[in-house]
Amino acid sequence: MQLDAPSPTRPLRHRLRSAACLLLASGACAGKATAQSGNTQLDTSTLFYTERGRTTVVEPMVRLTRSLSDGQSFSAQLVLDAMTGASPTGATPSKIAQTVTSASGSTSTTEALKVPVSPFRDFRGALDFDWVRPLGLVTPTTSAHVSRERDYRSLGASEVVSIDLMQRLTTLTVGGGYNSDEVTPIGGTPIGLSDGSVRTQGSNSKRVASGTIGLSRVLTRRWLVGVTGTRIAERGYLTEPYKVVSLLDSVGTPSDQLTEKRPESRSRSGIEASSAYHLDQDVVYTTYRYYWDDWGIRSHTLDFKYRHELGSTTYFTPHVRLYAQTQADFFSGGLQQGVPLPTFASADYRLGPLRSGTLGGTFGFHLPKSPGELTLRVEYIHQWGKGDRGDGETGDVEGPSDDHRSSVSSTVTHPTVAPVDIGTVVLGYSVGF
Amino acid sequence: MSSHRGVLGAALLIIVIAGMNGCAAMSVHPWDRDLLAEKKMKLVPSPTERAIDDHIYFSKEGSTGGQGVGGGGCGCN
Repeated sequence: MQLDAPSPTRPLRHRLRSAACLLLASGACAGKATAQSGNTQLDTSTLFYTERGRTTVVEPMVRLTRSLSDGQSFSAQLVLDAMTGASPTGATPSKIAQTVTSASGSTSTTEALKVPVSPFRDFRGALDFDWVRPLGLVTPTTSAHVSRERDYRSLGASEVVSIDLMQRLTTLTVGGGYNSDEVTPIGGTPIGLSDGSVRTQGSNSKRVASGTIGLSRVLTRRWLVGVTGTRIAERGYLTEPYKVVSLLDSVGTPSDQLTEKRPESRSRSGIEASSAYHLDQDVVYTTYRYYWDDWGIRSHTLDFKYRHELGSTTYFTPHVRLYAQTQADFFSGGLQQGVPLPTFASADYRLGPLRSGTLGGTFGFHLPKSPGELTLRVEYIHQWGKGDRGDGETGDVEGPSDDHRSSVSSTVTHPTVAPVDIGTVVLGYSVGF
Repeated sequence: MSSHRGVLGAALLIIVIAGMNGCAAMSVHPWDRDLLAEKKMKLVPSPTERAIDDHIYFSKEGSTGGQGVGGGGCGCN
């Protein structure tokens, strides 16, 4: 069965050029790759991120890749994050103004019906190194990572091996990684589900082991597909030390608050299916991911991009992303006062019945008489909670499960996720020399 | 749990279909791979954008992963 009839529109010299490129075993010489002719590649970008009324982030990134004649390449990447603004504490909004006294004695007041937030300022630096060394059909990639912020340090390494099979039409990828992180909350680590007045000093460890296996395959001359599965095991301090859970009185009004508490292990799994389809000039990218973990979160993510060529060096790529997750078993909009406390509880909206939609696009172009490619990406993200949109109706709370987290049945149904508007702009520049 | 089996089954089905399609894929001769050799013809066309997105959504949602291993942790308040 022949799926692809020979194209009568492609001239012979085009075919010969393709064959020559493949004989040289260099993907860089195909098509419009003249800009990538050098041995060194510089990629830079700057992310501007802002949430309405909350956090603002500026994140510059620079990545340098040096390729050697034997196919090896070394990459070094530096990312800096400057974060300012305010983050939701997890406390429940109230019909009256809330004044809270922290463990350090300072007080903060939140207006009526507003989501209680806590101001913060942080700076993060991250370094990543990659070493790619092709050995025939096998390509191992060794990576190392280190990042540091005021209250968090991460050290990690990973090894991923790609194996080309069936005349390079199929690629099998297998890999694993390990991160050793340390969480050192400012002001000490509070005891979970307490008033936060007692704190221990020092750092808390968090270990993250991950594994992946994937298969990508050329289906036709225009179509490439892939499936990747990942498994992540986290152990250690997984609680957010600055988040709280409100205590609600008999009519649901917040009267006090406790620090949150999460389990000390989490197993996360995901399967992602991807497709890239080449039309006459344009390319359609589609990705779907299903995710589940043992905290009770399940999620679906659908991502769609369409790269539309506007000219030989100019393109526009619209992007749509849709996301939906169920809430964690111990997620709570507030704990009822006077009822025995559950084993675990968190009001972090990221563990709630969250929905998210992204709309945006990337414009790529070359400046006249200048090497390299410039990109400008602008996106809008809207997050909301299932059942919480608009009028603040109550969210859905599933029945208690049959494990230790069933003690959350004492939680009170309450509006859980306040809508968030996020805008992002990414400026990028890539050049080979 | 049954939903997980369903998803895993679907993933296996895709792999099997991809494998069964081997004969068709074999018709993609080396001299017919000009489109596949283009830089934009990748499942992740821009690793830089992907890394930025992974960091954003890791800090704003309850899910992560799906592609690759390693990478940096963060406090992500």
